[in-house]
Amino acid sequence: MKNARRFLPESLLALFGIVILAIVISPIASDGSRIFLQAGNLTDILRQISLIGIISLAMTFVILTAGIDLSVGSILALSTTLVAMALARQGHGIPASILIAVAASAAVGAVNGLVIATLRMQPFVVTLATMIGVRGLAKWLSNNENIDIGFGHDVAAQFAAAFRQKGVVIGSYVATAAAFWVLLTRTVFGRHVRAVGDNEKAAEYAGLPIRATKVWVYGLSGLLSGFAGVLYAAENHQGNPNAGVAYELDAIAAVVIGGTRLSGGKGSISGTIIGTLFMGILTNMLRLNNVDSNVEMMIKAVIIVLAVAAQRERKSR
Amino acid sequence: MKRIAVAVACMLAWSCGGGGKKQFFVAFSQANNAEPYRAAQNALMTKLWAEHPDVRLVISDAQQDNSKQIAQVETFIRQKPDLLIVAPNERAALTAVMGQAMEAKIPVICLERDILQPNYTSYVHSDNVAIGRKAGQFIADYLAKKNGTPKGNVVAMRGLLGVEGEMNRDRGAKEVFDRYPGIKIVADPVADWIQAKAKDRMTEVLRAQPHIDVVYGHNDPMAVGAYLAAKELGREKEMIFVGVDGLGGEAGGIKKVMDGVLAATFVYPLCVEKAVEIGDRILRDPAFHPEKDYVIESTMVTPENAAAVYAK
Repeated sequence: MKNARRFLPESLLALFGIVILAIVISPIASDGSRIFLQAGNLTDILRQISLIGIISLAMTFVILTAGIDLSVGSILALSTTLVAMALARQGHGIPASILIAVAASAAVGAVNGLVIATLRMQPFVVTLATMIGVRGLAKWLSNNENIDIGFGHDVAAQFAAAFRQKGVVIGSYVATAAAFWVLLTRTVFGRHVRAVGDNEKAAEYAGLPIRATKVWVYGLSGLLSGFAGVLYAAENHQGNPNAGVAYELDAIAAVVIGGTRLSGGKGSISGTIIGTLFMGILTNMLRLNNVDSNVEMMIKAVIIVLAVAAQRERKSR
Repeated sequence: MKRIAVAVACMLAWSCGGGGKKQFFVAFSQANNAEPYRAAQNALMTKLWAEHPDVRLVISDAQQDNSKQIAQVETFIRQKPDLLIVAPNERAALTAVMGQAMEAKIPVICLERDILQPNYTSYVHSDNVAIGRKAGQFIADYLAKKNGTPKGNVVAMRGLLGVEGEMNRDRGAKEVFDRYPGIKIVADPVADWIQAKAKDRMTEVLRAQPHIDVVYGHNDPMAVGAYLAAKELGREKEMIFVGVDGLGGEAGGIKKVMDGVLAATFVYPLCVEKAVEIGDRILRDPAFHPEKDYVIESTMVTPENAAAVYAK
């Protein structure tokens, strides 16, 4: 926790900086208010970051164990497909459909963890394979088609109407973030996660349950990706086997900007939340000012490097 | 942090620029700049709006991501544009957010792809079934001329499965083929719209099929990919290649017809001219009530008219 405290102010500073910049350069609405500060816009930002935000919480755990999970986008796609199929084609109820999608996603994640822990394979390779295979599975299950949830009055449409609401999406993110913060900072499991990433050999000699910890961590990553997939399906009114491409990179970026080291052991959930907010506000700020989308990518690239560099600079002194 | 702020401010100042007197603000949410068809839409959109100096056009690129496009349209809604044009990435995903734009009293033009509910002021689009029928009839006529009666072996090179364009271009052509029992589809590989994939799939088909009369690519790049595969095996003279899209420019299908690679292509209209025309009237004439639905006809491009169409 000492390390976490030391870099937190740095990333918080970056967040304040971007907020102030966004306020200063915000376009002005016809009623004289700053568009950036409108309640509608601020909640737009929160809703827009929620899916990546949820995925990046578990990604933080994975990276803390010195691992990586490239399969989150594909698992999200699988989950959107499963929940939509269960609702719209098989006529399951809403709780059962969500359970099917989330449980399958968690199972995929747990398999990742099992293979990584028992075969001692590199997480990058294992989750890369899962990323490819699960994408194929989602496309195969759906026969390459999007599964429409529609706008009618059936159960599927009710599901979408309920779970696409801003309050529900943002609330889901806040609740998950709180749960994962507690899990990391207040539980034995959280300490194990850090210990495994900090020094796996030492953790092993100390008799910590390394294998179980890894299975749990990747299982949680699958679970949260699946949960994000459920929200995605509602937001987009469809199951989509092509959804979530490159989401793993957005999630990793949020974690890294939040100060978590890719080498494991050091990092925090609060940092990741800050990183997620930072990227969301940056994106919103650039769009409100109608920055060309290609320029947007270039600016983001520079800022990711600067944000991480600023944290390293101070720490090395 | 100061350094970061300065750097961002500089880049913003550089990228935004302009400003000044009161203008119309037209926002265009594009599904994916990376597709040539959509890049052509953007280029024509920019050119046509540039003829109106009091209109400021902003194009956002959703990079083929539904969630990204929803977010971009939401941000546009906050900016209250005078006109919002949306080329939806997928129909179900964009339906609700376009409804929000309508609720915010922003005129909305839905471009090319439809959505599940009529959450737009006008919908400007083409008809892929009609295009498929035209292509099918062209192929049937060609076979009748070549073989005496409309009979022969056709390879259908399919785009991304489950996409409206792929389904309807396929359906329209098959409606025609079904009337002629002599026309056989001997293979219908899936190449996801991509030229390189089409070349690989066609190579496999060529190994398996000793005689092919026509390749019908659901877009031009796939028809060209099939041509390249046939050429590699020295069989390109045995068959003709027909495509759809008919984009202009050096890399487009019309040029490929002029070069003798494609026997014909069927223009899939950009729909932009009509959108700008009615969009401009919406901006300037409060009494103007546009139609709900505008269908743009496809043009057949063959060696006879290719040069003329290309010049346009």
